[in-house]
Amino acid sequence: MIHEWLSRVRFFCTGKSRRDVDDEIQFHLERQIEANLADGMSLHEARRQAAISFGSRQSTREECRELRPSFPFEALVRDLRYGIRGLVKNPGFTFVTVLTIALAIGANSAVFSLLNQALIRALPVHDPDKLVVLSYAGSHPGHTHSSGGNTPGHAHEFSYPMYRDLREKNVAFDGLIAAAPATVGVVWEKRAEAVGAAMVSGNYFETLGVPPAVGRLFLASDETAEGANPVAVLSFDFWKTHLGEAPVVGKELLINGTAFTVIGVSAPGFHSTVWGQMPDVFIPITMQRVVQPDRTYLKDHQSYWLNLVGRLKPGISPSLAAASLNALFSDLRRSEFPNLRDHSERERKSFIDSAHLNLETGAQGFSPLRDQVQTPLKIIMGMALLVIAMAVVNVASLLLVRAATRTREFSMRYALGATNAQICRQLLAEGLLLGITGAAIGLAIAPQALKLLIHWMSGRSAAQPAFSASLDYRVVLFTIAATLVASLLFSLAPALQFWNPRLSDSLKQQSGTGVGGLLRFRRTCVALQIGFSLLLIVAAGLFVQTIRNLREVDPGFETDNLLSFSIAPQMAGYAQSAIAPVEQRILDSLAALPGIRSVGATNDPELVDDDINGDVIVTGYTPKPDEEFDVELPWISNGYLQTQGVPLVTGRLFNLSDTANSQKVAIVNESFAKHFFGTPQAALGHHLSRPHRPSTDAVIVGVVKDVKHVTVRFPAIPMAYTLYSQAEKPTGLTYYVRTWQNPLAAENEIRSAIANIDSRLIVDALSTLDDDIDNNILAERTIALLATTFGALAAVLAGIGLYGILAYSTAQRTREIGIRMALGANRNSVIGLILREVLILAAWAIGVSIPIALLAARAIRSQLFGVSAAEPLVYTFAILVIALVATIAGVIPSHRAATVDPARALRTD
Amino acid sequence: MPPSTDLLQGTLDMLILKAIAGEPQHGWAIAQRIQQVSHDVLQVGQGSLYPALHRLEYRGWIRAHWGNSENNRKARFYSLTAAGRKQLEAELENWQRLTSAVNLVLEGI
Repeated sequence: MIHEWLSRVRFFCTGKSRRDVDDEIQFHLERQIEANLADGMSLHEARRQAAISFGSRQSTREECRELRPSFPFEALVRDLRYGIRGLVKNPGFTFVTVLTIALAIGANSAVFSLLNQALIRALPVHDPDKLVVLSYAGSHPGHTHSSGGNTPGHAHEFSYPMYRDLREKNVAFDGLIAAAPATVGVVWEKRAEAVGAAMVSGNYFETLGVPPAVGRLFLASDETAEGANPVAVLSFDFWKTHLGEAPVVGKELLINGTAFTVIGVSAPGFHSTVWGQMPDVFIPITMQRVVQPDRTYLKDHQSYWLNLVGRLKPGISPSLAAASLNALFSDLRRSEFPNLRDHSERERKSFIDSAHLNLETGAQGFSPLRDQVQTPLKIIMGMALLVIAMAVVNVASLLLVRAATRTREFSMRYALGATNAQICRQLLAEGLLLGITGAAIGLAIAPQALKLLIHWMSGRSAAQPAFSASLDYRVVLFTIAATLVASLLFSLAPALQFWNPRLSDSLKQQSGTGVGGLLRFRRTCVALQIGFSLLLIVAAGLFVQTIRNLREVDPGFETDNLLSFSIAPQMAGYAQSAIAPVEQRILDSLAALPGIRSVGATNDPELVDDDINGDVIVTGYTPKPDEEFDVELPWISNGYLQTQGVPLVTGRLFNLSDTANSQKVAIVNESFAKHFFGTPQAALGHHLSRPHRPSTDAVIVGVVKDVKHVTVRFPAIPMAYTLYSQAEKPTGLTYYVRTWQNPLAAENEIRSAIANIDSRLIVDALSTLDDDIDNNILAERTIALLATTFGALAAVLAGIGLYGILAYSTAQRTREIGIRMALGANRNSVIGLILREVLILAAWAIGVSIPIALLAARAIRSQLFGVSAAEPLVYTFAILVIALVATIAGVIPSHRAATVDPARALRTD
Repeated sequence: MPPSTDLLQGTLDMLILKAIAGEPQHGWAIAQRIQQVSHDVLQVGQGSLYPALHRLEYRGWIRAHWGNSENNRKARFYSLTAAGRKQLEAELENWQRLTSAVNLVLEGI
């Protein structure tokens, strides 16, 4: 078999020349003539008999030729060459179809690339299918440090003692790793910057099977005791872009003021087990206090902060592993229970009885970002697929129109003996030619489109985007598959039309009007295009309305001329006790700057999707049974509410008389007051504190208006502001500066004022509040932008498709129109005739698509804000756009038809 | 014209392989040989001979080279390859099985 195949390949390459075949046949004939002569025939007769017995030389030649292994290829080349000639002769048609395909394929490849990166691609680690992500159900009283991604019954944060126990006592894993994200200040060659970091267990890289690019990575021996492992691993990207691939192994790096020795650089392409997190520096988990000096996470059973990922032993299924781990987990929870503050039966139930460990496939890693982007991405992908479907229908209808004008050519070819298969092959070759050219251009523009998309999606934030702008093989495969399917589909349309046509019919058709089946197919094409574009325009309208609504949301405070940035003194190596004083100095020196009206600070920044919340005990309020009422608990400076311009309802704001040593004070918002006290006035004078922490007791001195805090999307939440200077532990703050003029103009002034205090302080995430809000609604903005682009593209495509079909069908009807005009029809009635036909068709298509659009809009409801999925205004707008497109597409051909000279029209063939 | 018998599908390939099993032959000689040995019962249509030869060559069962014919003219000679010899054996065996089976049926009824 292989031998035979090899032989064919050999002949494919070398082939046999036409001469060889001719010579061979010639020899045969001559030899036969000789034999005939020897039998006593005359020369003439010998020749005649030899020729007769041989039969047709030409057909033998052809048969030999068709047997050549390279023959199908030669036929294809011939078809392609013929196709190219035809396409070059019709540059307008070729340009429009190739452009249509290129746009559709380019958009699809870019969007699919994002989808692939977020939802499909596995982590770049050894055997990712063996990884499982751990989460659990059950209560977690104490402190949770989460970066999101939790759903009921699936908390992803574990305590360090729990992790150690699980790691050491399990029998299901080849390795169980832990990691937690953080932001740290890094000083390298005297340059300080805030970078993303990951605190990881010693077995992290080993278990994942990530090799070092340089030096070595962590080992179990790098996770010994608290504070004992000052070693760091750099991510490849950070090493390359920030350190210029300098030799780093053995060098010293300051992290939050502590000296770490760099031991290696991780492999290129690897970022984290959590997709979307891009740590620049890895440090051992045991160095946690360097990152969060105010937290003693390592020994605490009630601090939940680590994401766990396990590598299953060979032959152990996730369900088997979960069964064996759950017994262990349950034992561990039972032994932890006596240490809890709350020993009620209710707590026992939720802490032990309903505790359950879940193992979920971890090939793609756990990712809060994925949860956020997957619905928007799926919607965008859906829209992109609609665009490609439109492109297919569009090109199919254009090809059909072209094929219809080639009826004579094909009839001629049939007459000359071409078979159905040959005609089909020709049409498919032309379709593929268009498809491949379009796809090549589409693929060429895809990286640019992707870059643009990523740029839109990452907004103005300086962080490295989780998406990379490179297309991987899956995207290329997807594009090739999409191109082939699309090309087959649109070339099939004309091929079907020519499948065994009755010759006489097609030859007669020249002077006819339209053939029934063909007309129906063309109408279906038009209707589909109108339907698809209606869907896309409705989606665009809904998202644009969403964006407008989100922008018009009043956050409750003035956002003009407001600049924010954060400074974490611990990143510059400040000790606990030194943090509050330097923060006061920063506030004072900022307030003294000339261009600045006022300044305030908080540990819980506004409108950036962050929250710091917990439950509180309020004097004079008896909680309902089982009440769990979390409130937002920001720590602020005493000028903060004044700077933000949050209106006071009753009582007073913080002022200079509130100091670190005076009576602790709190200000609550209206939602808070309403829940606990009914009215704002009733709140004044009551005390609030955190459960089990009497030192947090503070008296409510004022009530302020509600503001939007986490995001503009949600209604205001109950909040209780306290003073950062009266807080138990100091922490990094986000500063808000109200300026007189353009806030960004104050940037340099601010930076130099901070540098004057201490050059090690890092001013991070500096942006205006308007930008923060824009970032806050980035997903919606991206979808709206894309939906508008796709909607406009769809309208243009529908216009082109309509125009093509109308231009053809009116050209076909020239004679009919000529007769009408000869009988006295005027120009306007001819225009009306054609326009009416188009608009009736459009009305039909719209009537059918509206219910589909209503259904489809329900699927995107979760992404809408303040607009119903059935918003009549949006649908009206979409219908108007389509009516307009249909009219424009109809006017040109109908005008042309109406200007036809009746006498000439009657003479056309 | 002598009476011709249509060759069974695939049988021509076997006859060609057999005809050149001994020594290399050119196309005309192969046709003559089959015709003579079969006492003119089997007529190889020239129109099907050459496509068959090419097909076998492309499959790697026979190979062709230019040589001098008995009357000292340039001709294309075909000879068996190792794969072709194996193929011939397989086909002969198959043929024997088939004919003896057919004979059994004919005698038995």
